[in-house]
Parts: sequence; structure tokens; C-alpha cells
Amino acid sequence: MSRQHPDRPQAVLQSYLDELLTSSEEPEPHRYADPLEEQRERLQKLLYSASLRESTAEPIPAPVVVEPEVKTRTRPNVQSFAPEVTRREVREEHTAIEVVTRAEPEPKQEPEYEEPEALLEEPEAKLPEPEAMAFRAKDLEWLDNGRPAWAQKRFDVLLFKVSGLTLAVPLIALGQIHPMTDELTPLFGQADWFMGLLPTSMGKIRTVNTAKFVMPERYDESFVRTAQYVISIDGVPWGLAVDTVNQPISLDPEDVKWRSERSRRPWLAGTVKEHMCALLDIPRVGQLLMEADTRRRA
Amino acid sequence: MATNTRGKPNKDTDDQVLQWVTFRLDGETYGINVMQVQEVLRYSEIAPVPGAPSYVLGIINLRGNVVTVIDTRHRFGLPAGEVTDNTRIVIIETDNHVIGIMVDSVAEVVYLNQSEIESAPNVGNEESAKFIQGVCHKNDELLILIDLNKLLTNEEWAELDEI
Repeated sequence: MSRQHPDRPQAVLQSYLDELLTSSEEPEPHRYADPLEEQRERLQKLLYSASLRESTAEPIPAPVVVEPEVKTRTRPNVQSFAPEVTRREVREEHTAIEVVTRAEPEPKQEPEYEEPEALLEEPEAKLPEPEAMAFRAKDLEWLDNGRPAWAQKRFDVLLFKVSGLTLAVPLIALGQIHPMTDELTPLFGQADWFMGLLPTSMGKIRTVNTAKFVMPERYDESFVRTAQYVISIDGVPWGLAVDTVNQPISLDPEDVKWRSERSRRPWLAGTVKEHMCALLDIPRVGQLLMEADTRRRA
Repeated sequence: MATNTRGKPNKDTDDQVLQWVTFRLDGETYGINVMQVQEVLRYSEIAPVPGAPSYVLGIINLRGNVVTVIDTRHRFGLPAGEVTDNTRIVIIETDNHVIGIMVDSVAEVVYLNQSEIESAPNVGNEESAKFIQGVCHKNDELLILIDLNKLLTNEEWAELDEI
């Protein structure tokens, strides 16, 4: 040990004590030479934490915003449809409105909707006749083997009774079976076999007095009281009033005596041998009804 | 004149002997040539045919074949009658057509010589008169013989084919 300076021991002691005090907590060297960098890092952390809060936040539900958007969009569409669209387009728009109307308890909130509502009152006047007939064109055809196109292989038919007469109709062109729970709405100026309009969830069905249409020569007025169901025809807004409906059966084309001459009663396809009942050419029935409707309007 | 009511045909003369199936309709006895009768059926349910002529009762299923049944009373201009246990459907064949005729009852098969058949006087009403081939007095009863080929006109036969 050297004693080179009288103040030296104190300085050394002080240095030693300083070292003791600071040795355990040796100052961490600065990671950032520039304090701006440190601030920049803090800012980055804040931004990151902020972005985390944003991503974990609940999404804002937007139903309230959607509703007014729909209203503002629908209204101009309806107005623009009315004067220019074709008959078919009107009906489609009209059908869409009808569904909305049924879903909401108060359909007549906007005065602008009065026009389509008015169309609803007479849906039969806005029917797509040409398209419906074209839709059934392939079913109207009879092939060289003396059978309709829909009876080239096994087919299902529905049996039902009309004034004691059993009739069979192929399922190919049938729609739905609707109970006649509501009063039919009569329309003036119709054919005598027109019973009235049946209101259903699918729209108003123009109901045919099947007994009078099929067998006018043996018509019994009591059918109007006994008819319980209306079988709608697919593709056309018509339906057949019937007394009772039986289970559908499957038929082989050989089970039917097909008519060779159909200039008269073209709606009659033939006779189901086993059940001894008339088989209706239901696509042809639909066509005849549409043609009759067209003639009436003309 | 040789007469055989239900016996054998007369072989002693050239008089042709024919068999006739007799049936009753509104109190009268009618006969049709047995050669045109295929069978006699008890009454079974007749399914009406939409749009069929008024003289057509409907159709029946005869062993898988659809046979049209004629309302014979209506065709002959007779009043409508009720269906009874004696009601029968006679299946007949004429000119490639098989049809059924509904009658009140079927009586028997009789043999008649051709000479026994007299030309038709003014019996029956005008409607039935055009179908009558002749008459024959048998057992104090007038037997009216029907020409089934005249039962329907060509147009009417064609009409039946459309059913």
C-alpha cells in the first residue's frame, strides 16, 4: 500500500464506499443514446395498446342504420316501377311487397305504397300468362306413341272426387292443396265455371268449379257446398275445387287407356283402367284456363 | 212354318235357325243375336266419363279392358229405371267395337227360324223403331229383335272411341 497523498486515504475510502453503494445496482446503461428514441418507443407502445383496445372492442350493431336505408331505397324503386315496367315485373315487385306487408302489422305507413297495394286488390290482372304457358309448353306435347310427354315413364297421380266422380291428375303440374276455409270472392263477368277467388298465403287463387268444368251435363248445384279443397295448378294462378282428396298413386303408362282423338275435351288425357277414373291432362287444363281468361279480357 | 222355341235347329228345311239372347227392358222383351254377345255381367259400378254423350252411362273395367256401357233405356227413348238385383250388363261386339248395354234383366236364349221373324210393325216408340230388325211372337209374347249394328251411327261409334 503506498501513501503518496495525505488526502488519498479518504478519497480511496470514499471511492470504496461509493463502489459499495453502487455495485449492487449498477446503473443500467442507456439503451437509447437519444432521448427522442425513448419517447418514440413509448409512443409506439401506446399506439400498440390503443390498437389492441380497438380490436377487442365490441362491434357496433347497425340494425337501426339499415332500416332507414331500406326505406329510402325501396320507395324510389316502387315509384320508378309503376309507369314503365312490364306486367311481369310489376307482379314480381308486387309479390315482394306483399310479403313485407304480411310481416309488418301496419303496412300502410307510407302513402307511396298505396299504388302497389291497389295492385294487390286484383292480382289476377297482373299475371304472367305467356310465361306460364311457355313454362308448360313441354308438358303439353303428345308424342308419337300416343302419350303425353309427362307420361313417357312411370308417373304419380293424385286421385280426388268431384260430385261423386273420381278424377286423377298427374302430380307434375300440381301446386298445393288449400282448404276452402274462407269465402270465395266472386267476380262478375267470368265463365260459369268460375267459383271465385280463394285467398291463400300464396296469393289469390282463381278457383274453378271443377264439377261444372268437367261434367256440365251432370252438374249438381250442391257441389258448391260440398267442395272442401282447392288444388292449385303449378305455373298458373288457377285451382280446381274438389270434394275430397285421396293419396297419390304411381301409374305405369300401360295402366291408362290414352285417348287417341282429343279434338273435343282436350283436357281429358284418358282413363285409369284399374280405378276407372278419368285422367286429366293438367298442363292442358292450365293452358285452356289461361286461354279462356285471355279471351274474356279481349 | 217350323218353330223351335228352345229346341234344336230345324234340319229338315233350309230355314236358317238363329239363337237370340232375350232381355227385359221396361216391360218389353228384346232379343239380340247370340253371336254378338260376349258375356253377361252382373251390375257393377259404372264410372261416369266426363263429357261423354248422354246415352253413355260410363265405363267399366272388364279384366283390364275399359268397356263403355250404353244406357239402353235412354237410347230406346224409355224412361230411366232403377238398378236392381236383376240388372245386367250385356257385353256385345259389333264391327270391331266392344260395348256394354245395361238391361233390366236377361231372360234366356231362344232359337228362332228365320221364317219366324216378321218385319217390324210400328211397335215401340220412334227412337227404338230404328234399331228393330224384326219381331217374333213367342209364347204369346212379342219378342223385339234388335239390330245391334244400328244401335249407334258411325259418328256415334267414333264418339265412343274418343272416350
